[in-house]
Amino acid sequence: MNPWTVIVADLRHLRWVAWAVPLLVAVAVAIGVAVSAQERALRTSSARAADDFDILIGAPGSQTQLVLSTVYLQPEAVPLVSGAVLKALGEDARVAAAAPIGFGDSVRGYPVIGTTADFASRWGRIAPSEGRLFQAEQEAVIGADVKLALGEDITPAHGLAHSRSPLGVETAEERGHQHGGNFYRIVGRLPALGSPWDRAILVPIESIWHIHGFGNGHAAETAAIGMPFDAKHVPGVPAIAVRPKSIAAAYALRGQYRQGGTMAVFPAEVLVSAYRTMGDIRDALVVLSGLNSALVFIALILLLVAMAGMRRRRYAVLRALGAPRRYVLLAVWLQSVLLLAGGALAGLPLAFLTARVAAALIEASTGLHLPVTIGAPDLLFVLVLITLGSLLSLVPALVGYRTPVGTALRG
Amino acid sequence: MLHSAALDPPQRAAAPVRAEALTLDGIAVTVAEPGGGRMSILDIPALRIAPGQSLGIAGPSGAGKTTLLHVIAGLVLPQSGTVRWGGETVTSLAEEARDRWRRRHAGFVFQDFALVPEMSVLDNILLPATLTRWRVPAALRRDAVALAGRMGLARIDARTGALSRGEQQRVAVARALLPKPALLLADEPTASLDAENGKAVTRMLVDGARENGATFVVVSHDAALLGQLNRVIRLEAGRIASDDAV
Repeated sequence: MNPWTVIVADLRHLRWVAWAVPLLVAVAVAIGVAVSAQERALRTSSARAADDFDILIGAPGSQTQLVLSTVYLQPEAVPLVSGAVLKALGEDARVAAAAPIGFGDSVRGYPVIGTTADFASRWGRIAPSEGRLFQAEQEAVIGADVKLALGEDITPAHGLAHSRSPLGVETAEERGHQHGGNFYRIVGRLPALGSPWDRAILVPIESIWHIHGFGNGHAAETAAIGMPFDAKHVPGVPAIAVRPKSIAAAYALRGQYRQGGTMAVFPAEVLVSAYRTMGDIRDALVVLSGLNSALVFIALILLLVAMAGMRRRRYAVLRALGAPRRYVLLAVWLQSVLLLAGGALAGLPLAFLTARVAAALIEASTGLHLPVTIGAPDLLFVLVLITLGSLLSLVPALVGYRTPVGTALRG
Repeated sequence: MLHSAALDPPQRAAAPVRAEALTLDGIAVTVAEPGGGRMSILDIPALRIAPGQSLGIAGPSGAGKTTLLHVIAGLVLPQSGTVRWGGETVTSLAEEARDRWRRRHAGFVFQDFALVPEMSVLDNILLPATLTRWRVPAALRRDAVALAGRMGLARIDARTGALSRGEQQRVAVARALLPKPALLLADEPTASLDAENGKAVTRMLVDGARENGATFVVVSHDAALLGQLNRVIRLEAGRIASDDAV
């Protein structure tokens, strides 16, 4: 029994519809798969971006905003936490390392972040891919995606939280806000982190304080840059990243700095609650796209049932030529399965492409690199759809199967 | 575009008769009427067709000609009566077995050709061979090509839907003849053809049946076709009104 020639002929008979049907299925499947692939990538990548921020300490306010501004460098004004906290943390036995993170200035749309060389190297986890880390106040090290050259001199512009220049462009507005006479020389470039920090220009926090007229945070004017900050009045900073010595120390520190004019958060914890919301949205979208796929499937099955009805005479002729009923059943079933399963399979690469395009758009606007992958759950989803499609395909097949030959031959 | 050989084939010797006697007894086919009663559309107390005979079924539209042909082919089961092919009672076979019987013994030609227009000429001719087999044997494929040649079909790879009506019916005749059926059935095979093509198809069917030693049963109102047959019965309102063999 070889229904292949009949199947090919029937598909040819459908003409462009034979392409449109799998395409519709592919689009429906791709939407569902792309949504979950995208959400997975966003989770992985946002978690990775928060890797080196064990505890963040800031002034009381929105925990989410503190994380967004510090980890994802979202340009938003954040209240300052007293420099005394920074000083105290530097002397705290539970703290392995602490670093101020100051933001607000920018150069050609790239945020300028004041911190320590220790944090610029992510507590020693990464080394510059080119050049070296900053060693003096007038030096800067740039993220992997900053389109500036080593040796170049740059002048930071103040504020502009909501009106950063487009990346790499120096606008007239930016020039108007430049801190006259203050410039940095780029001395190094960091390797890619896959996070918004790849677009940042890192400078010593002391230089930021200096530019804004607060001194350098050290007891001596000539002290080396970096921790500890031992001035009588260490200037305030928007956020302090703290690496605790142990998990117990982490909880103790958070407990202590949750009160008394400061706020302490575990960014990972903030992300978990964000993921919960994101997961709910993902679930809703997946259910919607599942319904969407179901509707497309049902519509196509109706089309195929109608086609089987229109072809009742063709199938009756096959029967008159001696075809067993199951030959007709197999021919109609297989062509429906081919159309639906072919579409569902084509949905996978389409989903990958869609998710990649969406990831590129998100990366362009946030700097967050999204590693999109099609994984086992997606394959399972498609497998379930193919099984479902194969079962539904029995409907048109049974229409062909049950056609009475005598009347259909006259039809 | 007719091949001269198709119009005027060399006379081939009739093969020994392979057909069995076809015997119909007490055949009654009725359909439900809207009022609740049943209307008789076929009532044939007895019809015996000798092995190798060629029988024409004539009569006005609605006389039950096609129904009779479908009953003989086992496509329509009568409400009562039997159809026997030699010692085998076709009407008491289960559907699967009737399909098998039809596949083994019968070839069918329809008025509107009933080809698959999207298939090539060769695939259409070989279609019955794929109903039970996965691969068509090379020898059968060669036979099909040879048969197409004898039918004057030069372009065996052409899409069948693109052929002329006369060519299409010759594809249908080749499809029916390829398995060398012992029972050749045709329903108005010349009705949608012009006279010239009708004549060619008639000759192919009559010669094809004779070469296979087959019984040939054809529904037709084409006098030229009926004139080539051993015997013609005329149906009226489901009954045999005349039988020139009687």
